[in-house]
Amino acid sequence: MVAERAGYTVTMFLIDVSKSMGNFRTVTQEDSKGENVTIEMTNLEWSLQFVKLKIQEMIFNGRKTDQCGVIIFGSEETKNIVNTANGGYENVFEYISIGQPNAGTIAKLDKLEASSVCGDPIDALIVGIETQARYLANKKTWTRKVVIVTDGESPIEIEDWEATVKKMDDTNVSLTIVGVDFDDEELEYEEPDKSNVKRVNEKFFHELTSTMANGITGSCAYALRETAMPDIKQTRSALLGTVLRLGDVDTRGEEAIELTVKASKCTATARPKSWKKFGLRERTTDEMDQTQDDEDAANARAAYAMLKMRSEYYVDRTPGEEDEDGDVKMKREDDDENLLDAKNDDEDEDKEVNVESMEKVEKEDLIRGFKYGTTYAPCPDGQFPRLHTRKGIDICGFFPKKNFRRELSMGEIQYIWGDPSSPQQQVALSSIVQAMYEKGSMAIARWVSRDGMDPKMGVLYPVPFDNVDCLIWAQMPFADDVRKYTFPSLTNLINKKGETLTEHPYLPTDEQMEAMDKFVDTMDLMEAGDKDEKGNRLPWFSTLESFNPAIHRVKQAMFHSAITGDITTNPLPPPHPELLKFFEPPKRVVRRSKEALEECKQVFKVKEVPKKVVKAKKEGHVHAQDDDDSILLLDRKQPSDRSPGKSQSQIMRFTQVTPTKNKAVAKDADDSETEDEDDEEMLLDQKKPSTPAPEPRPGSSRNPGGGPLPTPARSMSPEVDPGRAPGRIVGNTYPLQDFQKNISQGDVVSKAVEDLGQVIIEVVLKPFAKRRHSEMLECMEIMRKTCLEEDEIDAWNIFIRELREKCLAKPGNKTFWQEICALGLGLGLISKHEAKKHLGESNVTQNEANEFIST
Amino acid sequence: MPPYDDWNKIDEEEEEEIQDNSIFESKRDVILFCIDCSASMLKLYDDPNYEDVQTCHLYTALEAAVQIQKRKILVGPNDSVGILLFNTSRKAESTRGQGAEIKRNTYLFQPIAPLSASKIQEIIQLLDTFREDTGEFLRRFPPVSDGRVPMGDVFTSCNWVMRDGAPKTASKRIFLITDEDTPHPSTGRKQLVTSARTTLIDLTQAGVTVEPFFISTEEKSFDVTSFYSSVLLPTNLIDEEELQEDSSILPESISISRIEDLLSQMRFREVPKRAIFSVPFELANGLKIGVKGYGLVTEQKKGSYKYFVDLGDRMEVATVRTTYVDEDHQAEVEKAKMVYGAELGANVAPEDGEEEDETIGGAGVRTVKSGSRPFYTAEEARSFRTLDLEPGIKLLGFKPREELAFEDNVKHSLFVFPDEMTYSGSKRTFSALLRTMIRKKVIAIVRALTRRNATPVFCALLPQEENIDESGWTDPTGFHLIPLPFADEVRTAPIEEGFRASDEMKDLARAWIDKLSVKNGAYPPDSYPNPALAYHNIQLQASAFREEFDPDSFEDLTLPKYDMIHKRAGKLIQQWKEGLSNDNSANLVVPAAAGSKRKADVSVDEAEIKSKYDSGTLGKLRVDQLKEFLKSKGQSVAGKKADLVDRVSEWFDAH
Repeated sequence: MVAERAGYTVTMFLIDVSKSMGNFRTVTQEDSKGENVTIEMTNLEWSLQFVKLKIQEMIFNGRKTDQCGVIIFGSEETKNIVNTANGGYENVFEYISIGQPNAGTIAKLDKLEASSVCGDPIDALIVGIETQARYLANKKTWTRKVVIVTDGESPIEIEDWEATVKKMDDTNVSLTIVGVDFDDEELEYEEPDKSNVKRVNEKFFHELTSTMANGITGSCAYALRETAMPDIKQTRSALLGTVLRLGDVDTRGEEAIELTVKASKCTATARPKSWKKFGLRERTTDEMDQTQDDEDAANARAAYAMLKMRSEYYVDRTPGEEDEDGDVKMKREDDDENLLDAKNDDEDEDKEVNVESMEKVEKEDLIRGFKYGTTYAPCPDGQFPRLHTRKGIDICGFFPKKNFRRELSMGEIQYIWGDPSSPQQQVALSSIVQAMYEKGSMAIARWVSRDGMDPKMGVLYPVPFDNVDCLIWAQMPFADDVRKYTFPSLTNLINKKGETLTEHPYLPTDEQMEAMDKFVDTMDLMEAGDKDEKGNRLPWFSTLESFNPAIHRVKQAMFHSAITGDITTNPLPPPHPELLKFFEPPKRVVRRSKEALEECKQVFKVKEVPKKVVKAKKEGHVHAQDDDDSILLLDRKQPSDRSPGKSQSQIMRFTQVTPTKNKAVAKDADDSETEDEDDEEMLLDQKKPSTPAPEPRPGSSRNPGGGPLPTPARSMSPEVDPGRAPGRIVGNTYPLQDFQKNISQGDVVSKAVEDLGQVIIEVVLKPFAKRRHSEMLECMEIMRKTCLEEDEIDAWNIFIRELREKCLAKPGNKTFWQEICALGLGLGLISKHEAKKHLGESNVTQNEANEFIST
Repeated sequence: MPPYDDWNKIDEEEEEEIQDNSIFESKRDVILFCIDCSASMLKLYDDPNYEDVQTCHLYTALEAAVQIQKRKILVGPNDSVGILLFNTSRKAESTRGQGAEIKRNTYLFQPIAPLSASKIQEIIQLLDTFREDTGEFLRRFPPVSDGRVPMGDVFTSCNWVMRDGAPKTASKRIFLITDEDTPHPSTGRKQLVTSARTTLIDLTQAGVTVEPFFISTEEKSFDVTSFYSSVLLPTNLIDEEELQEDSSILPESISISRIEDLLSQMRFREVPKRAIFSVPFELANGLKIGVKGYGLVTEQKKGSYKYFVDLGDRMEVATVRTTYVDEDHQAEVEKAKMVYGAELGANVAPEDGEEEDETIGGAGVRTVKSGSRPFYTAEEARSFRTLDLEPGIKLLGFKPREELAFEDNVKHSLFVFPDEMTYSGSKRTFSALLRTMIRKKVIAIVRALTRRNATPVFCALLPQEENIDESGWTDPTGFHLIPLPFADEVRTAPIEEGFRASDEMKDLARAWIDKLSVKNGAYPPDSYPNPALAYHNIQLQASAFREEFDPDSFEDLTLPKYDMIHKRAGKLIQQWKEGLSNDNSANLVVPAAAGSKRKADVSVDEAEIKSKYDSGTLGKLRVDQLKEFLKSKGQSVAGKKADLVDRVSEWFDAH
């Protein structure tokens, strides 16, 4: 398909605003969640959507040579050039004169309302052609398009229309008629109770457009559906001339090759169009008054202004001298006058607030240079003299194709063609391509796109197409571009004795390999696509069928917001299914692989590692991850100075928390257990397949009082003090978390139990302890469970006795103890009987236990 | 037109996508070179590269440190470096500052400080002095006479130096260089091992990584097991218990090399390894493993210039602050209050007289009914880009390796490695998948959203086997994540038909291609340092060192080896050229393309132009003729007629 020449087009929209266009219709559409929303609108509003989408497309592409004009017919007023000159052509109104459209054009269309009269589309057509012709007087090469939007309910004076057709054909005008509720074979739609007038008109429209060289009549529903399809903007790649060289053409020309070739892009990255930023304009009181005079409050309008980016420069002068300061300030004021953007008035104050202690400097006073460490290397031009290079592609040598490393390919691919105007050059290139292809080799080459430009290294790959031979270029990395990170081997594990391991949790077993083998086989895509004409299944997924979902979704969203005044009442429909078709594996394949997948799940036993709570460390280093990382690992200490906007963009930021408070913590023997969690490195090597990661602790879900969860939400306030008393590893703030963390690490159980016990007692004896009762009960429940499992039964019994005693003493906390008793034996003393069940020992009799909680 | 700088500013959303590089710049890196200064390190021997020159391990180590510093200063001008020497009896001169109170027999030669030209020059000077008088090191850093300093003390010193000198948020590393595998040969050995280990754990807990570089020579080979394997920690952090388990594996980053390879070994670790993303990899519903992504191939660009303010006594970098303003009202708008929408389009001259209301508004203003919402929030705008996906990689299925076409490329690849920390069992599952895919010669097609702000892309996962090349570098095992182009990004071939070579011509070409082929070669990235970047950096360095730069001394290693080409294939190329001039195609003319625009016939015979050139009457040709000729030679057609004439004669001069 040959791409149409973009731009250089004037489109005339002829819009029917006759009385019948004001009839209401109900439009059902899905919102982005797939729910149906019904909207009442007039036929005019409905069909205008099509016009607006077309105009928005022009705005989106932003070409100066893509212009349009709008003429309405069936209007009460008359204003058009034919009428002005010769009279007649009533009820045709030139609504928007031809020009490059903008948001104002769309806003103006929104004001259209159906009239109380009728208009003749043929009158409008003649006016439209005439207006267009006059505008394009001597621009013969421009494309001329006319679009009529009508419901076909108004009578048409069918007379002499052949002359109009001839005129349109002579000037190469194309005509599209978009009809509201016209019968449509493709959509299998036939309007019930169609009026006679409309039936005749529809027939006439079809006849009219089919007589024309370039005419089409279609239904509005179809037209709207087509605009929602993701379409690919065919970009014709420009052929850029360059030279392919081999050898030294300057001094050994007779032995060197120089071919004129053309390069054109084979792939080119495409990005979603960027969003423009807008701000709601706050009205000054003056303006308010005015509007109140003009309009009703209900009719009040809100203005959104497009924002412009502005850069300001600041310098920290604090260590500098004062005199210097004054000087520069003076200079700056001068500059302000010159610039006179009037932008500095309110700004200066602004600055002081945001960039404290920094001083604003004008760009003109700045000197360009580079940083060489702390050394300043001046460079007023912004770049040093460039390496002298000569335009062209130099071949450096050849190597076997099979040794090519695909992952080194750095970017966009280019075609290299023999000069289309010289058969000899084409043959020359073709001979090289064929010889390389035959030999199975590729060339290493150095490309300079223009004289003086930085060279790029790459490879040339021979491609014999059906009727032409060419090379394709892929850029390869320079030595500087390759990062040699080291990674531990996945296959060759060596232990400390220097022996190679054959069995290790990191190494898959034969059973696991077998399961994976089946899984890979069943997930094959080569015969998972649609069927071809012969009924053979084609491969599923191809680059040529995969639309960039972001580009098309963003475009759809932009168009939608541009043509709708309120996205709350008229929400954005869901993405076109075509965009999502490769988002999930094909159903056939999923079904086929089900069994193999189950087996994989069984044998590999992959477990998500529970999110770890980071504790303050001795040295106070805490990672503050960005969002990506936080999905996996949580940190609860977030530095207070972290600006919310910035953090997302960085992969990992290390932030430090001043160690003051936590430094004193845990200076005893268990140092190494409590202080650590570089959460990155922490759990490596500890997980064995046989010991899957611990399940989340039971009881953590039971959290009636809204007390802190073991893994706090990310939004946890930044400055939480874990509240650990000196020497304690369990703090008062998040006792349960601290406790569980210590338990999960193993051998500090006794200390953790003891500390938690003390914390609980402290908490419940404090004033206003009531709001933490449920949290403390949860703590106790888990603590008791741990004691049973970890053989700390005595510790529990000592604790619970102490708790009881303190609660019942004065001032105490009787309520809390009553709550414990209400729970029955569950939180009481651990009896002989119960201890035995857990292979533990206790000297408490069952009776004693019963009595303990009953008093 | 906005000034040049503004063109280069990218909207934040896009920035996220392009940002690959910047994460390396945004984080500061600190390296403390910790170099053994014992008698064996100072022992002189003949320099293998220069005749009659003596060198020693310490010299090589310091020189490597200079090279690393020189490179780091270009890549990360905000990074800091320091040098600590141990096993020397030299003591700190001052009693204040970093390094004043470190353990005995360790000496802080250069405190940790941001990189600067003067620091590098200081070492270079020292090295130059040594070249002249090899006794210099012995005088300046006399080795300890009695035994060696316990490694525990060395680590403690490092810890203190780091604590005092390194910025808190930086990644911190110690490059430990020693040739001694048994630092504590005699009494109290066991205790010293324990103390070394404890201090090392302290160090790691302070967020410092130790990267050892062990020097091994023929006379004195280095045995890691004699001391270091029981001290060094596999990866960064591990608890005591794990250390005692003998099944635990060796740290990934031990390097034992000959002294000559020290620099290249260090360069492998020059940049701290940082993951670009860490996401779940979903093999199928209910089977997820953890992976991290690294950029192994990323274009290294010239640093961008900064704006400086002359403060009289010094130059200070100006901080840039970007704001968004409503220009008509001169009001700055907070980020939280911004809304997002489509371009409003060009300014159209206001309609004559009628309806001068705000609807059409001023340029760049959109007016709607109060209370309605015509724009999206930042959150909504982002969800349109991500299509509401969570970051992650989703496996879609497998295809044969050949399905990954050469031309299906738009962007550099990323390297994916399993992350056991987020999902236990990731490594074995990953390994099994990798091995199976290598055996079956297949690639995987995946859908990837690597970061929260990115856009979803389809990628090929290409399995990488472990290869060890001659330089000792190991290609790590893992997957290459290669983004595939979308339909929107593929351009159709603009030329479908052309003249093709005869078999004779092909054979003539084959003859010289054979001669110019490297048998088992491949594209060697290491052989091609970026000349433009190097040229820039040399000038930058010269400017910082206040030295003169001599452009002639610069060697561009990417230029073809002309001599070799002509020697091997010159004659064959000549034969091919003869064949070409005798080929039928020489007499063919391409019929003028039926273009839409009719043009005067401007084609002029090359011979005719040549004769005009010879007679010095090129000026008689018309501009369009000159242009046509230049265009056919791939030359620029810009400029006035005189320029064109000049250019044409230049071309004939050259040919």
